[in-house]
This record gives sequence, structure tokens and C-alpha cells, in this order.
Amino acid sequence: MKRYNSGVSAELAAVDGRKHLNMDKMMTAICFVLLLIIVVIPIVMIIYHAFFNEGKLEIEMFVQQVTEKKNLEAMWNTLKIAVFATILGTIMGVFYAWLLGRSDIPAKGLMRALFNIPYMFPPFLGAMAWDMMFNGRSGYINKWLVQLFGLSSMPININSVWGIVFVEVSYYFPFVFMQVVSALERMDPTLEESARIAGAKQRQVIWKITLPLVKPAISAGALLILTTSLAHFGVPSILGYAKGIYTLPTRIYAVIYNSGGSFDGIRQGAALSVMLVIVVAAALILQNRILSSGNYDIIKGKSMRPTLIKLRGAKIPLFLLAILTLVLIVIVPLVMIVLISFLKAYGLPLEFKNFTFAQYQKVFSANGTIASIRNSLFVSITAGIICMFLGTLVAYVVQKIKPKGKGALEVISMLPYAIPGTVLSIGVILAWSGRIAGINLYNTIWIILVAYLARYLSFSMKTSSAALLQVHSSLEEAARVCGASHTEGLADITLPLIRPAMVSGFFLIFLPAMREVTTSILLYGPYTRTLGVQIYSLRDAGMIPQAAALATVAIGIIIILNTIVTKITKDRKGV
Amino acid sequence: MANVKFDNITFRYGTNTVLENFSLEVESGKIVCLVGPSGCGKTTLVRALLGLNKPETGTITVGERVLFDAKKRVNVPAEKRNIGIVFQDYAVWPHMTVLENVSYPLKKQRRPKDEIHQRAMHALDQVHMTEYANHLPNQLSGGQQQRVAIARALVVDSDVLVMDEPITNLDAKLREEMLLEIRMIQKRLNATILYITHDQQSALQLCDKMAIMQQDGTLCQYGTDEEIILHPANRFTFEFIGVSNFLPLEKDGKGLVLNCGEKIPYTDAVPKEAENGGYDIGVRPNDIVFDAQSPLKAKVDSRVFLGSEYNYFLSLGKKQIRVQQSMLDARTKGVANEGETVGIRLLNTRFYPTQKGGATA
Repeated sequence: MKRYNSGVSAELAAVDGRKHLNMDKMMTAICFVLLLIIVVIPIVMIIYHAFFNEGKLEIEMFVQQVTEKKNLEAMWNTLKIAVFATILGTIMGVFYAWLLGRSDIPAKGLMRALFNIPYMFPPFLGAMAWDMMFNGRSGYINKWLVQLFGLSSMPININSVWGIVFVEVSYYFPFVFMQVVSALERMDPTLEESARIAGAKQRQVIWKITLPLVKPAISAGALLILTTSLAHFGVPSILGYAKGIYTLPTRIYAVIYNSGGSFDGIRQGAALSVMLVIVVAAALILQNRILSSGNYDIIKGKSMRPTLIKLRGAKIPLFLLAILTLVLIVIVPLVMIVLISFLKAYGLPLEFKNFTFAQYQKVFSANGTIASIRNSLFVSITAGIICMFLGTLVAYVVQKIKPKGKGALEVISMLPYAIPGTVLSIGVILAWSGRIAGINLYNTIWIILVAYLARYLSFSMKTSSAALLQVHSSLEEAARVCGASHTEGLADITLPLIRPAMVSGFFLIFLPAMREVTTSILLYGPYTRTLGVQIYSLRDAGMIPQAAALATVAIGIIIILNTIVTKITKDRKGV
Repeated sequence: MANVKFDNITFRYGTNTVLENFSLEVESGKIVCLVGPSGCGKTTLVRALLGLNKPETGTITVGERVLFDAKKRVNVPAEKRNIGIVFQDYAVWPHMTVLENVSYPLKKQRRPKDEIHQRAMHALDQVHMTEYANHLPNQLSGGQQQRVAIARALVVDSDVLVMDEPITNLDAKLREEMLLEIRMIQKRLNATILYITHDQQSALQLCDKMAIMQQDGTLCQYGTDEEIILHPANRFTFEFIGVSNFLPLEKDGKGLVLNCGEKIPYTDAVPKEAENGGYDIGVRPNDIVFDAQSPLKAKVDSRVFLGSEYNYFLSLGKKQIRVQQSMLDARTKGVANEGETVGIRLLNTRFYPTQKGGATA
């Protein structure tokens, strides 16, 4: 009686309802209250302050902000960068996914691992490296090219819209790549084989069968690139800021920064935030229209052995192309940052006599550095743990209790996913700097924590949700019939079963939070810099080799953490 | 052991009424099979018994104990009902070993450790699973998991044991073995077992009594298997339990005819109410016998040997009917060959008014 399963826990809740203090209702209430505090209040505050001043409706400020030339330019840049990054990143992602998933290209396992690196590499560090190489005035490779060919001007200028697009593509294409590779792997190979047997040529099979079948995966990945790019702060701020190229997120930062954190500045930021959210929403709707795609059940959960396509003569050139791509987007920036971190002073030629360990000493003797690492660890771990539990709670309420208003609950918890980090920060500032119940968290680490909670809650909710869907309600019911109370059933059966998902939800939050800049750059106070902020401000202050040294350390930490996580999640396979 | 009494149970999902004023009494110490097509409300009924859903009206009692009474607002929570269950999808907890699974109900009763171990092992022994005690469920086959679920239901002395299609995933041989095993366990414990299935074959093998439920959630017959096979209460029971042929009987001028695409005179005696036609003759395949003297002639379309019997498809007029011939009959009278025209005689005929809409199976 499958069709009744959906209502089963709701039924159980109804059965329990009268006699006991209703735990399900309590959990539902907790979810609503916490989401109200974490998500709804900041968003409401932004909208309120964008249109109201001291309790009175005042649209002039909003209109003025929206019509200002600089802001319109920023909006145009945001759109341009996002659209091109999405298109190019999608093409690149699909191409390499197909190459590694379906062709007989050599060294697949290694290449797959390497192609995932850009995903964990913080894009703003990448942008730093590219700036060091191709800065329009002082890029090392630029200077070298000028010398080599006797050019009169710098050949490549990374500090441009196209430079930003290039760097974003190289770090965002894994979104599509990973989705499509896994879809290709889960696809039933007989679907392609039947097409071949029916007389289709290899090329026709790719266009008519394979691509349409992975279209949902492509479209999901593309959506991720689009929203991430629209909201992205790091790359455009590092590459565009100095040249006066703004996107909406960097423009919001500039407005607030220039106003010295005054209330008017924050209100202007709120107005721009509304603008940015509208752009993101429009992009989402548009994307939905263009790529609206049915879900196919033909892609199965089981992994199967697909038939590999022989590349024949193209094998070696394509292999070299893939290697070259990897070197260009992974190795070159990494090497550049490490090299610069050893320089005595930025601008000196990259020669051995100019190398020193002094930058590392300087960075680590400055007490701000250690504090920033400590801050990042504290906020990331705390946010990870809280989100893990809260996300699971929301997922449980939505999946199993199914109260009235579960749709609203779901939407609210997923909302921050579509809201840019910059916007969220402004909401958090407006909400928690003394305006509500006198709670003032500004300049403390707690305000960063609150922002992280809102930002990352949807991550853990998604993983827990997926895990809960796997836990059939009969498992908990069997426990009830065996003599377990509602609470015992939860504790003995459901929780242990979704524990692995909860743990991976934690890491899904902890890892990106460790390298976060977008939200913390607007929220940090004198003693609450995070690792990302510290690198960013070192560079901003012109101490580029020191920034590079700390960046090297940060990358080291990230690689170590990632390795540990991969180990842990692999060991848990059996559970 | 105790008897189970459903009285006037009404259950709705939204506006969809699954059960309406449903009553059934299961005698103590009997195996009762609840048989009905998918979606007829069997599972809803036992979920109400288990306390996993809440009917709108009615009472449920086990022995002297009232588990549910809509009027008096009695609703014993699931964990206090003391009913064992084997779920259709086993619901064996994947993160616990076989032994932990089976021990769980005893743990919840806060029994001493030695007793838990001893009783759990005993339950595993009953389903021949002792050697798998320390395996995790994902190391077991579907059939083995089902046996773990059965052991888990047996381990506490429940008043009643509910089994929701517990053997569907076993292969034919193991299925038979488990049915015998369930039977033996029931004898030994003298337990009341409510066994849900849509497979009438295993129901026949297992049960003391059968309750036949119709698609609309009503109980259409409750009785021993002989009663149900030999005296089906209505067309639904006749059709649902076993294979059946239906031949429309019509009045044509002076005599009765079978309307099988062409009109074939029917000369056997009919009950009074069917004398004017408008009835379907229901007849089992093994109640149709070959008789060269019979005026009723049919053509043999195909013949399949099934080990203990022959299965024929015959054309009677334009209608295809199914006939079974036992080995004994085939030995003494010989078999009919494909393409041959044979005389047939209908025995044990039943007469059901023709259904509106003309649907004849």
C-alpha cells in the first residue's frame, strides 16, 4: 500500500496527539521559531530598511540608488559575468564530464580527483594568483612577456570583465562537471546501446540520447554556477576593485566601506541588496523557463559499467588538452602563490636570491593571524554542528511530521541558498546591531556565526532530507510496535540511520565556512577577523607576499581537512 | 493468545473511505488469513489494530482488553499493545545485527541480559537463523531478512501476531517451508495469527479460517477454507479464489443458450431464478470434463502439461475457456489434441446475475 506511506507519520502523530505532550508539535514549533530568527528577520529587515526610514515610507533613496549610473553599471557587469561564466562553465563541465565519464581517455581516476580540486580551492585565492601573473600593470608573466617579445604594453589584462569571467569559469565548471559525471555513471548503458542497435551513429547517440538524458544534471549544475556567480564577491573584488569594475556584491561592499559603516551606508547597501535579489530571482525564473526539464527515472541509483567510446586518433591530443587545463587552472595558480609567499618584497624578480622565509615568520608572529585561524575554526565548527542538528530537525519535520505549513518551512530554510552572502550580511547587521530587543552582536564573533547559520542551513537540511527519504517509515513503526516510545523510536532507529548523512552535512558546511570571505568581510570587527578576511586585508594593505604566505597555509589546511573528510566518508560506506 | 475483535471500524483518508463499519472477529488460537485484492483496506485494518492509525469510529479489542474505542476515547499507544508484527518490507533495522534486531523488543521490556540473549537465540533458532546472529541485514538475502523479522515478532509472547505478506520474497520451496514453520510455531505457542495476503494459494495452505475482503473494503465472506472454496458467498469470492470461467446464459425463443459470440443451446438443468436468462454460469476449469456424448462441443486451441495436470484452452463458440484435466483422468480417458473438437460437460455450475456493463471474465 505504497500510496499511504506518505501520510503514515502524520497518522502516528495524530494517534499520539491527544495523550502525550506532543513532541512532534514541539519540534515543528522550534523549527519555525529558529528559522524566523535566523532567516526571516534579516530578510525582512533588509526590505524594511530599503523602503522605510525611521518608520516612514521613503522610496526616494531606493529609486536614487537603483537609477544611479554606477549601480546600473554594476548590475550590468554582474549579469554579463554571470551569464558568460555560466555558459562557458557549463560547456567546459559537460565536455570534461563526457571525456572522463564516457571515453577511453587514460589516467581517469587521477584526472577525476584533480578535476575536483578547483571546487575546494577558494576562488578568491585563485583570483589573487591570476592577479599576480596578469595584472595589467605589474603581473609577473605580463612583465616577462613584455621583456621576451619587446612589447610596448602589457599583453594580457586580467583586471577586466573577461578576466573575471575566466577565473570564475575555471573554479565553477566543476559544479557542472561533478553533476554530469555522476549522472553519466548512473545512466543505464543499455539506453545508448539500444540506440546503436536501432541504427544510430555514435554522434547521433551522443546528441539524441546521452545529452538529453543528462540534461537535468546539466541544468542543475548550470543553475548552481549562475546563482553562485551572481552572488560572488571574492573574484570580482580582487580583480575589478582597483580598476573600478564593480559587480553588485562588490558595489554593496564599497558603499558600506566608503560610508565607514554608517547607517545611511547600510541602508544604501540594503537598497542595492534588494536590487541584487531581484536580479538573482529573475535569473532563476529565466533559467527555469529555458531549461525546464522533466525528471527521468531512467537514471538509476546503481552504478553500472557504461560502454566507453574509443577516441582513436583524438585520444592523445584530448588527453594533453585535459592535462593542460588542469595545469593551467590548478597547478599554475598554486605555484604562483607559493612562489610569491617566499619573496622578500612584492615586485622583485622571481629569483632564488630574493627568496626568504621571513614572510611566514611575519605572518605568524602577528597575533591577528593566529586569532583569525582560531576564529575561523570556531565559527566553522560551531556553525557546522548547529546547522547539522537544526537542518536535520527541519528535514525531519518536513519529511516525516508534515505539519501544516511544511511548504513554508521548506521554502524558508532553502531561501538563503538563493540569497547572496553579501545581502545576508546586511540583513544580519540590520537585525542584530541593537535594533531588535536591544540585542547588539555587531563587532562580535556571534554576528558572523548567525550569518553562517542562515547561509549554510540549507546544506545540512538537504543531505539530511535525502537520508530521511531513504529511511522507510515502517522502520520506526516496527520499533513502536516492539515497545519503543516515540522518542525511543527516534533515538534508536531513525537517528542512527541518518547519522552518516548528518556527519557529511557537517563537513559540507565546515569546509566552505573555513575559507569564507563574502559574508565575513562585511561583519568582521577588530578582533573577529576570519582566515579569509585576514588574507583579504593583508593583500588590501599591500602586503602581498604575506597574504600569499597565509594563503599557502590556508590551502594547506583545506587540503588536509579534505583528505581527512574523504577518508572518514569512505570508511562509513558500510553503514 | 486472545481473540481479536474489530467492531464497526470506519476509516477515511480525506474523503476516500477505505473501511466503513467493518466488523470481524478472529477466534483465539487460530490462523486467520485476511485475503483481498491490493488496495482493499487489509493493511489499513491491521494498522488500526497495531495502533499506527486511528479509525473514525468503532472499537478494537484483544481478549478482554480494549485497545481502541472511538466513543470512549480509548487509544492505547502502539508500543503498549503487545502485538507482534512482520511487515511486508521486513523493516529489519539495517544498523543493528540480526541478534540486536531480535533482542530489541525484549530490551524495551527491560528484561535481564541473560534472558534477552537466551530468548533471542531461541527465536532465531525457530526460524533457522542462529548462525547469522552477528550478521548485519545487508549481508542477508531478502528471505533471510524476512525470517529475522518473523523471529523479532516471535520473541515476545504477543497476544496476537500480525503478518503482512511475510513470505512474498521467498522462493517457492522456502515459502512452503516457512508456511509449515509458521503453522508449527502457531501450534506450539497456540498464538492467534492474523495473516494478510493477496495470494490465495498460501492462504489456503496456512489458515484455519479465511476472511475475504472485497475491493470496496467490505468483508464478503468469513469461513473455513473448504467453505470458501466449495460454497463461495458471491461472485467476487468465486472469482477471486482460484481460476474461473464465466459463460453468459440467455433466453432465446423457447430455450436457453450460452452467448459465446454465437448462440449455443444449453440443455442442463438450471435453478429457477435463472430460467429466463440474464445470468452468468460460473465454472472452475477442473469442473469441466471431456464427454464425447455431450451436445456441448468445443475446439481445442492449446494444451500444456503442468506436471500434475493438463491445462487446455478451448474455444466454445467464439469464447475461450480454460479446462484442467487431472493426470488420472488423462490416463483413463486419454488427452485431447490441439485442433480436435471435443464434447464437454460443465459440473458444479454456479449462477450469478449478469453484471451491468457487460464485463464477463
